[in-house]
Amino acid sequence: MSVLRLSESTPALWRFTDPRPKTVAWVALWTGAIVLELLALLPVVTDRGAPVTGPGIVFSLVGGSFAACGLIAWNRRPDSRSGALMTATGFAFFLLPLLGPRDSELAQTIGNLTADWWIFFFVALLLTFLTAGRLRTRFDQALVASFALPVVVLQVLSMLVSPPEGNLLSAFPDAGVSDAVDKAQRFTLGGLCVIVAVVVGARWLRASRRRRLALLPSVAGGACLLLFAMVLVNDLVTGSRSETLLWIAACSLVSVPAAFLAGLLRSRLARGALTDLMRTLRTQRNVSLQQALATTLDDPLLTVAYRLPGSLGYADASGEPVLVPPLEPARASARIEHDGEELAALVYDAGLDDDPELLEAVVAAAAIAIENERLQAESAQRVLELRASRERLVAAGDAERRRLERNLHDGAQQRLVAIALQLRILQGRIRRDPEAAEELAAAAGDELALSLAELRELARGIHPAVLEHGLAAALESLASRSPVPTTVACALKLPEPLELAAYFVASEALANVAKYSRATSASVRVWRAGDTARIEIADDGVGGADASSGSGLRGLADRVEALDGRLSVVSPPGAGTIVAAELPCA
Amino acid sequence: MRVVVADDSLLVRKGIVTLLREAGIEVQAEAASADALLAAVDEHRPDVAIVDIRMPPAFDDEGIQAAHALRAKHPQMAIVLLSQHVDFGTAMLVLAERPERLGYLLKDRVTNVTEFAATLRRVAAGGTALDPEVVQRLLASRADNGPLSVLTEREREVLALVAEGRSNRGIGDRLGVSERAVQKHVTAIFDKLGLAPGEDDNRRILAVLLYLRSAS
Repeated sequence: MSVLRLSESTPALWRFTDPRPKTVAWVALWTGAIVLELLALLPVVTDRGAPVTGPGIVFSLVGGSFAACGLIAWNRRPDSRSGALMTATGFAFFLLPLLGPRDSELAQTIGNLTADWWIFFFVALLLTFLTAGRLRTRFDQALVASFALPVVVLQVLSMLVSPPEGNLLSAFPDAGVSDAVDKAQRFTLGGLCVIVAVVVGARWLRASRRRRLALLPSVAGGACLLLFAMVLVNDLVTGSRSETLLWIAACSLVSVPAAFLAGLLRSRLARGALTDLMRTLRTQRNVSLQQALATTLDDPLLTVAYRLPGSLGYADASGEPVLVPPLEPARASARIEHDGEELAALVYDAGLDDDPELLEAVVAAAAIAIENERLQAESAQRVLELRASRERLVAAGDAERRRLERNLHDGAQQRLVAIALQLRILQGRIRRDPEAAEELAAAAGDELALSLAELRELARGIHPAVLEHGLAAALESLASRSPVPTTVACALKLPEPLELAAYFVASEALANVAKYSRATSASVRVWRAGDTARIEIADDGVGGADASSGSGLRGLADRVEALDGRLSVVSPPGAGTIVAAELPCA
Repeated sequence: MRVVVADDSLLVRKGIVTLLREAGIEVQAEAASADALLAAVDEHRPDVAIVDIRMPPAFDDEGIQAAHALRAKHPQMAIVLLSQHVDFGTAMLVLAERPERLGYLLKDRVTNVTEFAATLRRVAAGGTALDPEVVQRLLASRADNGPLSVLTEREREVLALVAEGRSNRGIGDRLGVSERAVQKHVTAIFDKLGLAPGEDDNRRILAVLLYLRSAS
């Protein structure tokens, strides 16, 4: 069994070929995440600088958790950018906790300027769980870009008009303008958060069952954004921050990487179902492959589409045509191949693409099962062929016995009865009419000679005694009786069954040459090529012989096939006939 | 006695005809096929038709087909079927149907022309003649069951000879016993087989019929 692989056309393959970060970068990223997390927590531990609030501690943990989960996901799915986006979100989260509490005004300025930049990566992450971290649509791209208004433009504006403490950008401090800018910032940010949450929610509602599972971290993120919007609006309305809401928002943020990791873990659990699948396919003969796969993948619409022989189309097990690849965007397809030959295609919930390892394993299992089905069908077909050939051999044997009985009955036996009668008549006349008796005796003698000749001919048909002197001698004898001048080239001793088969092939073929070919010469050649003995009877006659018609050739083919050999007839009209038999002889 | 001979083999037919003529039997016509036989019988009305079972065109059971036709058309004529070999199939069925005036013999029997002539006469007189070979096979093939299982070994022997078409005297000669002893056996057979007293010949045929039916 060859190594099974997914074809290039499936999206699954590039998932495995995309390079993951080099080891050096890998170590650097992990070290960076750990060091930054420790640094972010330093103020909490050392109790230096400004007092740290509870939500502040949680926020400083958020960076580390995103970075860690992101790196794990990146490693497991290097093809998907979700891991990288999550890592980037984590690192961006570190900016404010690291830079904010610094004494340096520059650090504080940068910290404030970039405080909310994490939201770009975060929103991009939420929108792209199904597209492997890639922003595929203009809408998604615009949505992410629009966050630049509150997070970059209005933030710069806000800092320009804010008081100069820890703010190098403070150019025109004005409390009134600052307040207005702050409100605008909160409204736009909150509004965009709500929009993203609504988009994510709508996508979740539209998604298939499997995709909803994959979208869970996205939904969690959407909920976070809603909470943030509430915090922002709450600040505006009440004029003070709600500690409770901030707590909830901070904690819920951590749920996003947690949900994502859970998704990864779930796909590992699905591998257990794969074991069940293999067991089912192995132990239950009549279970439908499609049924078993649908159960394993929890996808009731899953279809095994078999390649229609000699066409580009597909059909399911009941013969219904299936479109591959499917039209619906929610369905995807993968080729099931064996030895580079496509056996079938699997049409499945596109959500399975998020779990390429499971998909690959299921496709491999399906390929084994289909190949198995094919082998079983083939062997059943072979049994049928063998049975048919065995029946033909028995029938041919019966027909041959009947022919012999007829020949004996109508020939030798009849003659012997006649001779017996003649001898009786002779007995009655021998004294009365010696001359007539003499005639009768001579006639009876002639009859006996004819009977003997007939019996000899019959006996040779049953088993050619001439074979006792070897195949070459037997073939010479055949050739000498053929009305068409025939040459024999045979210098080879074979096991008896093979010699007998070769002899009968030559006998039948030469009989056909004499009957139909109108040939002027014929040849019989026997030689050995490796483990195969080959006998070939060629003539220069009219050709046009049909191997499939006539019981003679069919019977020969059966006899040859009974020895695991092969009979072939090449007979183009006007260009002679070659009857050849290949007989394996180890 | 007048006969018609049908056999497709010229040599065999001539041999049979020559032997029969030398035995003093009048051969009215020869036929090489079933059709020729039917025509000859229609023309000559012989006492017995001697018919080879295998004849052209198919060399299968044309003789038996012809015998059927002849019996329907000429029920008073006797028919002796000749065969190259013992065949339990169709020939047995023909006999079991109505065994009187019917014989079934191997062709070789013709060479013993005296015996053959006697058989022809018996069949012409309304009897049945089965080839001893056939009888042997019937005996061998017959299991212990069937209506004939009530007969003793000797009685079965006698019945077999009855089936061959022999008279009590012929049976006595064959078995080396007196005609009276044979008659006793025959009566015992009739009693055991439940054949009501009546015309002796009739009962003989019924016994043979039973014998044949238990074989097929």
